[in-house]
Amino acid sequence: MKKPSLRTLNPAKFLKAGPNREARIMATEAKPLPKLNEYPANKIAIALHPKKQVVKVTNIVERASGVKSYTLKATTDTPIAYFSAGQYIVVNLQIGDYLLTRPYSISSSPKQAQVDNEYELTVKRVDGGLASNYILDNWTIGTEVTISAPAGNFTYEPLRDAKTVVGLAGGSGITPFVSLAKAIADGDEDANLMLLYGCATKNDMLFKDELDAICEKCDKVKVVYVLSNDKLEGAEEGFLSAELIKKYAPEGDYSVFICGPQGMYNYLDTQLPLLGLRKKFIRHELFGEYRNPQANADYPECVEKSVKITVVCRGDATTIEADTNDTILVSIEKAGIPAPARCRSGSCGWCRAKLTSGDVYIPKDVDGRKLADYDYGYIHPCCSFPLSDITIEIFKK
Amino acid sequence: MRTQFDVIVVGAGNGGLAAAATTARAGLSTLLLEKHNVPGGSASTFRRGRFEFEPSLHELCSVGTKENPQKIYNIFKELGCEIDWRYEYNTFRAICDGEDGYDVKLRAGFDNFCDDMEKAVPGSRESVKAFFDLVKKNDEALAYVYEKKGNPNPLVMLFKHADFLKSASHSTEEVEIALGMPEKARNIMNTYWGYLGVPTDDLNAMHYLSMVGSYVDDGAAMPYKRSHELSLALEKSITDAGGEVWYNAQVSKFLYKEDGSCCGVQLQDGTELYAKEIISNIIPNNVYGMSDPKFVPEKELKLANARTLGMTFVTIYVGLDCSKEELGIEDYTIFKMPFPNPREQFNRREEGTYYVFNCLNEVIPDASPKGTCMLFFTVPLMPGDLPENLTQYNYKKWKNELAEVYIKDCEKSMGFDIMSHIEEISVATPVSFARYLGTPNGEVYGYQNENWDSVINRSQAQFTDFTVPHLHYCGGHSVMGDGFSSAYITGHDTGIRVVNSIKGGK
Repeated sequence: MKKPSLRTLNPAKFLKAGPNREARIMATEAKPLPKLNEYPANKIAIALHPKKQVVKVTNIVERASGVKSYTLKATTDTPIAYFSAGQYIVVNLQIGDYLLTRPYSISSSPKQAQVDNEYELTVKRVDGGLASNYILDNWTIGTEVTISAPAGNFTYEPLRDAKTVVGLAGGSGITPFVSLAKAIADGDEDANLMLLYGCATKNDMLFKDELDAICEKCDKVKVVYVLSNDKLEGAEEGFLSAELIKKYAPEGDYSVFICGPQGMYNYLDTQLPLLGLRKKFIRHELFGEYRNPQANADYPECVEKSVKITVVCRGDATTIEADTNDTILVSIEKAGIPAPARCRSGSCGWCRAKLTSGDVYIPKDVDGRKLADYDYGYIHPCCSFPLSDITIEIFKK
Repeated sequence: MRTQFDVIVVGAGNGGLAAAATTARAGLSTLLLEKHNVPGGSASTFRRGRFEFEPSLHELCSVGTKENPQKIYNIFKELGCEIDWRYEYNTFRAICDGEDGYDVKLRAGFDNFCDDMEKAVPGSRESVKAFFDLVKKNDEALAYVYEKKGNPNPLVMLFKHADFLKSASHSTEEVEIALGMPEKARNIMNTYWGYLGVPTDDLNAMHYLSMVGSYVDDGAAMPYKRSHELSLALEKSITDAGGEVWYNAQVSKFLYKEDGSCCGVQLQDGTELYAKEIISNIIPNNVYGMSDPKFVPEKELKLANARTLGMTFVTIYVGLDCSKEELGIEDYTIFKMPFPNPREQFNRREEGTYYVFNCLNEVIPDASPKGTCMLFFTVPLMPGDLPENLTQYNYKKWKNELAEVYIKDCEKSMGFDIMSHIEEISVATPVSFARYLGTPNGEVYGYQNENWDSVINRSQAQFTDFTVPHLHYCGGHSVMGDGFSSAYITGHDTGIRVVNSIKGGK
């Protein structure tokens, strides 16, 4: 057998490669290139994930005492970004010098975004709740608001979730489920929803008429009202217990989706283990603003009440006073320094910043950092608390 | 805020990071601008629940070990980066459907690879060995070409490096056929074509050989904490040397002097920044879109028009609530092909199920929590392969349906029970790459390395293709083509060139 060799190939071909390439280039027309937003992939990316959206309040509905829904409509011809039921948008607010953001679940349907170019947000008055109270007191028809693109992963994923979702909602945590119920009724999501809606009294129930109407026309959605301090015909009494979930859950696999106040999460932590569900079948909405870190067992002792934070952005430093009970993000916002933020729950990484000196406390259950970020000093200011004077490098909003 | 620098690097992808680290460490005031809020471009991570996914890296070639360091290992070391490298010593398993189908696994190491190939295709050993022998010859020739800055003496090339000239000007398949490699062996040998994005009948033999040779010779490497670890190590190298890195800093305009030389950039917020030298890690097409047309040389525009945008992907990231052992996974990389021939795999990509399957836990067992594992599917597409009726409204449904097809094919052809164990799933498409990278049509690989525009041809023309004074390009779209290693090397090389031009060296 002959030894393999390249004798049949011509090395001189190489000498022509350069000139051939040059000739090919020179024979090509110097047409202007397409603009980036003309390519199909970029077009869809920009439509789904605009940097910001400017919307206007076009309708306000009082859902209950201290709870209002706001319809936000696109102000330009650009369609409002589509979303998946369960996602939130971030609202930008300026209250005096205080620049802040808040994520709110969208309570309207994806269809409404597609057809009417609008989202509905539902805001509840909270004691000491700066943003919610500001919105309830100040937003009127015509108010212009800058919001983010829809974001978040509290969505139904057909390749991951069971066919039936048992929704555990508490109080105003009903909003993402209202959107999901509508999406199922519209045929935009292919799932069954068994919604267990816990409230203290019947006056606290939101969207009851809307939910009842959906159940009426769509047999994939069912709602059971669960009142802890009240009675209502057809409603369950008590809490969202394991026993109650078992009573309404289907045979076989089901996914549990949870959205409500902290107290409900704490209670469910005692109930869900009794159901023996696999982790993949339990989905939590974001926890929201973290408060009272001092209450945690691993919070260090002897922390000063007030510290200094030096905030560096593009080489410029500003030193501000901070309360150790506030997250670093809140202190930065209170000082009127614009800072990026989205989920405010430690998870999305939008506020990611570099801690260059000092110590911080990060509650373990909301530490959503990437592995390598630990080694290189990155933190999420939205759920990090200063323990000493610190220096932090943030990136421009 | 400082607005004047020695060097501004636009884009913190692999090339931009390596370039900025090189110039900053040489003592030049360096500013790296990145539109996103994390470095790396594709070299990053994202979290879902208890999983942290690698978005893009399969494996790096040309790394080597502490004892036997190769180019990439040395670049990171030179830039002061500590990387926890992990290694994979199987090249791949290839499963091909159909009558001429096969299921073969090839180990790294030239002898192992030849043994495994001989077993799969009796009688192929000599030609496979001859193919790898070219790697060494090519390395010698390439070193000479590099030394001569892409302009070697033709006579030296003809007499001393004739085999190199042949493999540098012919396609991979032409070279393999000349060596008498049987068709089945060629198909198996050419399995890696997807890493470079061009079917092997139009992929330069020298280019393909240097990559395959490195995987077979050195094994493949990856960082312990996903590619975000690489990006952060380089970022630290820049800032430790006094360089600045600005995130959320989208460049909207390249600034030129009246003589046509590039002198700075403008950010979206209007900030103007100036430097002696500008390095673009972003693709020339985008730079032209951000430049006054009168400063874009006509020949560069012709070149951009003559080129084809490089590959893009659908990638599926899956976190499972069972271990890889429970599923029976024993391979890090499996190439799954509906047809044995690369050209057919490419041309019929939309009707078939050609994909790469990876299980990171095979190399990094604790990459996800105990009792779980992570899978990564990569489906190559060309920019423009999106369905015509795709809109923001049907996009999610489309990508989920696509993911289901590939996951089900994997279940069928490899026998893994995936569907019932999905705890987290995320599907990226050209739309996702367009979103995060901002590249035209979501391309990931820059420009196609078709043989007329091969790495070797680009390298010869690198000082005549781009002629705007003080503007340099690096990254996957530049001289060495796509791939992590290529991007780091071009970034590093460009950094050195800029250092020399500012400091007056060679």
